[in-house]
Amino acid sequence: MIWFTLLLVVLVLAALWASMTTTLLRSTLGLALASALLSVVMFSMGATLAAVMELSVCAGLISVVLVSVASLTRPRSIQEELASRRSRLRRIWPLPLVLIAAGVALSFVHAPVDIVLHLPKGDGDVRTVLWSLRQLDLFGQILILLAGALGVLVLFRKEAKDDD
Amino acid sequence: MTPLLLILAIAVPAAAGLLVLLLPSRRAPWAPAALAALTCAFELVLAVYIFPHDFAFTWPWMGFGAEFAVKLSRFSAFILLGIATFSFLVTAYSAVSMAKAPSSRRFHAWVLFTVALSAGAVLADNLILFLVFWEGLLLTLFAMIAAEKTRPFATAVKAFVIVGLTDLALMFGVMLTGHLAGTMSMSAIRLPLDGLGAVAFLLLMIGAMGKAGAMPFHSWIPDAAVDAPLPFMALLPGSLEKLLGIYFLARVSLDLFILTPASWVSTVLMGIGAATILLAVLMALVQRDYKKLLAYHAISQVGYMILGIGTALPVGIVGGLFHMVNNAIYKSSLFLSAGAVEKEAGTTDLRELGGLGRSMPITTICFLIAAASISGVPPFNGFFSKELVYDGALERGWIFYAIALAGSFFTAASFLKLGHAAFFGKPANAKRTVKEAPWPMLLPMIVLAGLCIVFGVANSLPLERLIQPVLGTAMKGAHGGTFAGFPTNMLLVGLTAGVLALAVANHAFGVHRTGRGIGAVDHIHHAPGLSSVYKLQATGALDPYRMLGGIVGVASRGLYALDRAIDWVYSGLAAQSALAVSWVLRKAHNGNVNRYVLWALAGAVAVVLAVLAVTGGGR
Amino acid sequence: MSDLLLLVPFVAVVLLYLLPKRARTAGLWIAFGILALETAAAFIDRFATIDFGLLAPLGKLLGFHLATDGLSELVILCTGLVGMAALLVARRTLEDENEKFLFANLVLVAVVGINGIAMVRDLFSLYVFVEVTAVATFILIAAGRGDHVFEGAWKYIFLSVVASVLMLTSLGFFLLSTGGITLDAARTGLAANAPLAWIAMALFLCGLFVKGAMVPFHGWLADAYTAAPAPVSVFMAGIVTKASGIFALMRIAQSTLGGATPGREILLVVGAVTIVVGAFLSLTQTNFKRMLAYSSISQMGYIVLALGGDLRLGILAAGLHFFNHAISKSQLFANAAAIEKQLGTLDMDEMGGLGARMPVTAGTSAVASLSIAGLPPLAGFWSKLLIVLALWNAKEYAFAAVAILASLVTLAYFLSLQRRVFFGKPLEKWAGAREASVGLLVPAVALALITIALGVGFPFALKILMGGGA
Repeated sequence: MIWFTLLLVVLVLAALWASMTTTLLRSTLGLALASALLSVVMFSMGATLAAVMELSVCAGLISVVLVSVASLTRPRSIQEELASRRSRLRRIWPLPLVLIAAGVALSFVHAPVDIVLHLPKGDGDVRTVLWSLRQLDLFGQILILLAGALGVLVLFRKEAKDDD
Repeated sequence: MTPLLLILAIAVPAAAGLLVLLLPSRRAPWAPAALAALTCAFELVLAVYIFPHDFAFTWPWMGFGAEFAVKLSRFSAFILLGIATFSFLVTAYSAVSMAKAPSSRRFHAWVLFTVALSAGAVLADNLILFLVFWEGLLLTLFAMIAAEKTRPFATAVKAFVIVGLTDLALMFGVMLTGHLAGTMSMSAIRLPLDGLGAVAFLLLMIGAMGKAGAMPFHSWIPDAAVDAPLPFMALLPGSLEKLLGIYFLARVSLDLFILTPASWVSTVLMGIGAATILLAVLMALVQRDYKKLLAYHAISQVGYMILGIGTALPVGIVGGLFHMVNNAIYKSSLFLSAGAVEKEAGTTDLRELGGLGRSMPITTICFLIAAASISGVPPFNGFFSKELVYDGALERGWIFYAIALAGSFFTAASFLKLGHAAFFGKPANAKRTVKEAPWPMLLPMIVLAGLCIVFGVANSLPLERLIQPVLGTAMKGAHGGTFAGFPTNMLLVGLTAGVLALAVANHAFGVHRTGRGIGAVDHIHHAPGLSSVYKLQATGALDPYRMLGGIVGVASRGLYALDRAIDWVYSGLAAQSALAVSWVLRKAHNGNVNRYVLWALAGAVAVVLAVLAVTGGGR
Repeated sequence: MSDLLLLVPFVAVVLLYLLPKRARTAGLWIAFGILALETAAAFIDRFATIDFGLLAPLGKLLGFHLATDGLSELVILCTGLVGMAALLVARRTLEDENEKFLFANLVLVAVVGINGIAMVRDLFSLYVFVEVTAVATFILIAAGRGDHVFEGAWKYIFLSVVASVLMLTSLGFFLLSTGGITLDAARTGLAANAPLAWIAMALFLCGLFVKGAMVPFHGWLADAYTAAPAPVSVFMAGIVTKASGIFALMRIAQSTLGGATPGREILLVVGAVTIVVGAFLSLTQTNFKRMLAYSSISQMGYIVLALGGDLRLGILAAGLHFFNHAISKSQLFANAAAIEKQLGTLDMDEMGGLGARMPVTAGTSAVASLSIAGLPPLAGFWSKLLIVLALWNAKEYAFAAVAILASLVTLAYFLSLQRRVFFGKPLEKWAGAREASVGLLVPAVALALITIALGVGFPFALKILMGGGA
């Protein structure tokens, strides 16, 4: 139980670090770390397939995509970097504080929740799930990818034009 | 399909009006007038075509008793015919007189809308629908007077206020009538004249009289005569308004309510009619402007119609309705002749006119015929209708008859003066060469003058075909079933002849006294007693509109203080607090996305807690 | 086949990118054509069950579980109309052929997203398609040229992420409590009064509130609408926000909440607060589009408020207000586009007396303003009336009163807008201003005519709507 809690705490810290650090690359690193830890959590709860997907797609593929997109961006100048560092605490201190406070408050709320873990019906075969049950969602995700690609096309062409 | 012809009668002029408004006026300046004339011609043909039929068409519209119900009864068919005829004649006339005016497009569009609305009002069989069309006419009235934009605006406002107030009374009357009768369908209502019924009748009567221009709702007409374009005068105060106003009065008296000679309402109507006749003609007598003079006569003639209908006797009602038709004919002819004079001689001030008879012969002849008709000279149409009205008035009380007869005297005197001053005698301004009016202006005048003759000599045509069917069964047993032909009461005829002769004598006396046609009635003008009244009238102190303005002014000053306080609550307190709330909220939105996220998350927490509280965490 | 509504725009986007560069100007018109077909599809009864012969094998291949009913057809109709208007506005306000091409493509992607939202039966798929729409819209905003474009886009996507978090968390709780994430499963769970199911529903509702810009989840909308390029504002205000957020709320209210408290009460309170706050925020704005944005927040509050009333009438009222707002708001934003193009500014303090210079814009904006303010006989009057009736029937008198009073504020800010922008004497600096080109006027006039027609002919439309059922 203790390892589990420790795992969750480190996961949250990694996520916090990812959102508060000032460099894009460090942020990506933090995300990859958090995803990896999440896949460990999933594995330890018995969802092997989900853990594998999480590790390969999120920690792996997404980080690669993020890093390659980040390479298209202009690195920050020293002044921007310093200014960002100075102001970041001021900008975002309420958010994590509030979240933690809310979490603590909610934990005192005695919501008598009966959690019954329903095991997924049918065979847990990934192929069946993806191709026959959730085709629509797959289609949706293809669309998001398409939109994302269009976005990259647009925004970076625009950046390039603006820089000229 | 054919009841839809009724809808066409309303829809076609409206559509044509829209078309005229949308046409660019620069390329074809004659287009609005031409389109208007064509549309009215179509309307005329349509009115003639549907005349013998009995169509009705109903379509549920808004609920609460308001239906789109139109019905062609004998009466409305006849009025529709009148509307179409007069609008056609006037638009043909205005095709020339207003062709180059910059406001031609607006004016003709409003004319077409007026025709559409009038057709709708006449055909409507539902009180609410009728009210809609009637109110629409108020707007077109205003628009037509104000068509030339600068000076006439004050007159337009005056007309709007006066007619608007009477329309307000009409609205209350309609509501009350509908409430009493339980329905808004006009052909189903028939109420007795007692208590609330009489009140409703009076309210409706005020509405009708306001439209027709009887006293005391008359004071905008003389102002409009000077400021508004001439064809407008010929069309609206000259013919259409009378047709509509008296149509409604007749409908109300004959169909909606049961008007009997015994009721006090009938006496009220006759009193108003008589007063209007006499007072208006006295005003007309002393006018120096051709158009203003005609305007006052228009008001006076309405008195005959109201008097006739007010007698509640078949002879009087038929006389009143016949007079309505005849008045429309000769009044519009007179206004058109004024327009011809204005166009050719350049002025309508009687002091500057004179001797036009030589240079404008046709106009003069038409004027003479119309003037004779209005004065009640046989064998023109005015004589016959006046005799019928006299007959009815005398039966109800000699005082009414006497006033009406006196009115005829002054009418004749006034027109003798007008004719003499404008068309005969020496021209006051010899330098200007005047020629006859162009034929598109002459033709309508000639047609109307011809009608004066035809409706007089062959008066069975209008009486038996158009008017008497309105009374229906009430006509039986009276006078052998018809009033056509020469009047039978020779005493009345004699008295009329005597009065006319007296008027001629009076005129000769006046001319001899002052040496000019225009001075023919100066002795009446400066008569002791009357002269002070005339002086007051000239300053406008007797104008009911002004008096109303005075009373309103005093009352408003008194209420001003109270109003300020209430106003502070609304525009002070309420507005300031609303703006303060708005300002506070705006300040809170400082653009910081983190703040917005906080709000969202706080809201989510609140919602979840609320849900938990309500479901109570049921176990 | 309802699958076509998803596939056709997608395939079109792919094919459009295969066109040679010179033929790309047709892209806008192809998108227009597809949206016109979509509008037509909304009128074909039981579109879902029509079998297009040749395409039958495709249906067997794809296992999309879609369903269309009255509400879906409403969204499809609005999408088609608003999309066409937005494309027409884009044609005249975007300067670059490339920009127009891109706009058309992104609109098509967003349309697939919206169609998906309209037709899914499953909370997770709903979430997926909400995301699709969000991403496409984000890029649409960010591709603009004005100031603060990125700020608006950033706020939009950021709060959209918050919404996604809320929705995913809720889905997790749904799986925990009911074992399924279809709308039916959710309904069973709520009916059994399981507290976890209710928490899950509350979180999902909050996620939708963020997408639909209910107060206090609305922080992104004003900046996003104001900063977005003109055609994007038209599109967003017309359909995107409503479809992503409000429509989903309608669907859930109809099939899952089923009129049970506390779902109804949440909708009532949030709706009422949104109406009031949105209206007051509009009152003192100086930027034309910003005022319209806050007004949108307020009006969408009305739709949500209606869902808290008597259910059958409430859904009808909400649907009608949905339609009216889609038409009128798009039209107002089209007017804003015209003004921005002709004057170069949207600051109302600098405007004045434009009514004489731009009569068509002024006239159509008056029609839309009065319709939204709820004046008879325009369409907006009827939907407001139905909303108040729905609340009254459910004995929610206080909320009905709030709805009516807020109408006063609505009328106030719209009249203020009209007065500041269109009435009065034209200022000297606008002496040379002329009416916008026909291309910008056509959508405005068409939408205004729909407003008038629906308003005047409402008794007939009502018979059709009641017969078709929601």
